[in-house]
Amino acid sequence: MVGATASRNGWMVWLTFAIGMLLSVSPLPQFMEILRPLWLALLLAFWALAMPQQVGMVTAWCLGLAEDVLYGTLLGQNALILTLITYLVLALQQRLRMFPMWQQSLVILVIFGLAQLVQLWLSALTGNRQPTLALVLPALVSALLWPWISYGLRGLRRRYKIN
Amino acid sequence: MRLLVLVVLSVALMVVDARFTLLKPVRSQMSLVLMQSYWITDLPQRLWQGVASQFGSRTELVAENEKLKTENLLLQGRMQKLAALTEQNVRLRELLNSSALVNEKVEVAELIGMDPNPFTHRIIINKGERDGVILGQPVLDARGLMGQVVELMPYTSRVLLLTDTTHSIPVQVNRNGLRAIASGTGNPERLELRHVADTADIKEGDLLVSSGLGQRFPAGYPVATVKEVIHDSGQPFAIVRAVPTAALNRSRYLLLVFTDGRTAEERANEAAQAQEALDQHGGGPIIPATVPKTGIVPAAVAAPVTPVAPTVAPAATTPPKPAVTHPAAAKPAASKPPAAQPAAAKPPATQPAAVKPAAKPPVSAPATTGGRE
Repeated sequence: MVGATASRNGWMVWLTFAIGMLLSVSPLPQFMEILRPLWLALLLAFWALAMPQQVGMVTAWCLGLAEDVLYGTLLGQNALILTLITYLVLALQQRLRMFPMWQQSLVILVIFGLAQLVQLWLSALTGNRQPTLALVLPALVSALLWPWISYGLRGLRRRYKIN
Repeated sequence: MRLLVLVVLSVALMVVDARFTLLKPVRSQMSLVLMQSYWITDLPQRLWQGVASQFGSRTELVAENEKLKTENLLLQGRMQKLAALTEQNVRLRELLNSSALVNEKVEVAELIGMDPNPFTHRIIINKGERDGVILGQPVLDARGLMGQVVELMPYTSRVLLLTDTTHSIPVQVNRNGLRAIASGTGNPERLELRHVADTADIKEGDLLVSSGLGQRFPAGYPVATVKEVIHDSGQPFAIVRAVPTAALNRSRYLLLVFTDGRTAEERANEAAQAQEALDQHGGGPIIPATVPKTGIVPAAVAAPVTPVAPTVAPAATTPPKPAVTHPAAAKPAASKPPAAQPAAAKPPATQPAAVKPAAKPPVSAPATTGGRE
């Protein structure tokens, strides 16, 4: 969670999450719908890497619940996914920090891909299984976006001295 | 450790949410805040539309106005005929002793968002529980059925479209009443009719209307038009593809249909009771009114009525309902003083030739209603 005392400008983090949430429901053309990046997961991954003390699995879980309400999925479905993603990012945190950007992207691709597969499995349980494996495409797009998100948010963090 | 707790918690939540209604209030409270984000993401388009309408050119507006006026005229013309037809339909249904088609109430809702998941066809509309929307309520647009409400939130609700892979709707061919089930395919322009016999009378261009069989959708709304029928001798059933008549991915304004929750029988009973009460209040000779009416109504052609005349005369002169304003419809309406049980009134059937047309509908009544309902 974003600690009240230790952190400065913690609200900025929440602001980015709010924007991420808007992006994840914003209308897109039909053909791009299938490519929609996992905005919340990307933001969570960045903040968990940048300030693991403040943003962790509990934050991820709460955001996941919010996403469930937005998407109309079972409560807990996206919460589980985002928690898993954050856990994996935190587990690989030491290594990820040393990696160059393209390697980070690769790791992100693998993590998000796994998460999407879990997502597929969960939605199959609830009876609306996606007919194709196209749902790993968002993981790919997210991985391609990762460097830009990463640089952008790093700049934001420096500018507002968020920690 | 924390991961384990959270995972277990999520799984528990999912199970509870899937099995029980315990979490519904939590969800609706959360949606109260969160659903605003759909509204916010819709804002730019709304603003753009506002600006566009501000700066729309005069000629364009005039042209549009002209077009709308023509359209309105056409619709008004059709409406005139509709009134007469509705009246006739009610009368015929009374003859058949089946429940009348009730007028459904509709309310306009606006689309505020699409479901971000590309594999489901769901939309979000700006009317919710507080506006009286109920679960399973049918949604239309100007051209046909669109889907049904699957999730209620206080001020918004989620609508599952006909073309979602998990959705099916009972339909019938408008031309001949052939029943089928139209399932969504995940393609916004296509429905598929499942298990249609190879020999069934269905062909390209047929209009499919809702049959009302599932007790979910009201009967008689257009659903789709048949696009192709493929007879493959290797397949046990014909492959029938249809295109939804509603503009599923283009309509912005939708209609919510409010039907009463009563079953057809309850409606019929209540209508019958109301009718009886009306007859008693309306005064006039009830006894003659009930008996001969069967004889008259279809025989509005007047000529065959004469043999039955002695009993008929009083009935025809005491119309309890105000006659319809259309001259064409007025004549039969006058003879309508209908008791609820016309079909049960056997006597006319035994009467001579003149009554024959009248006697027929009651006989076929059970069969027709059974097939229709």
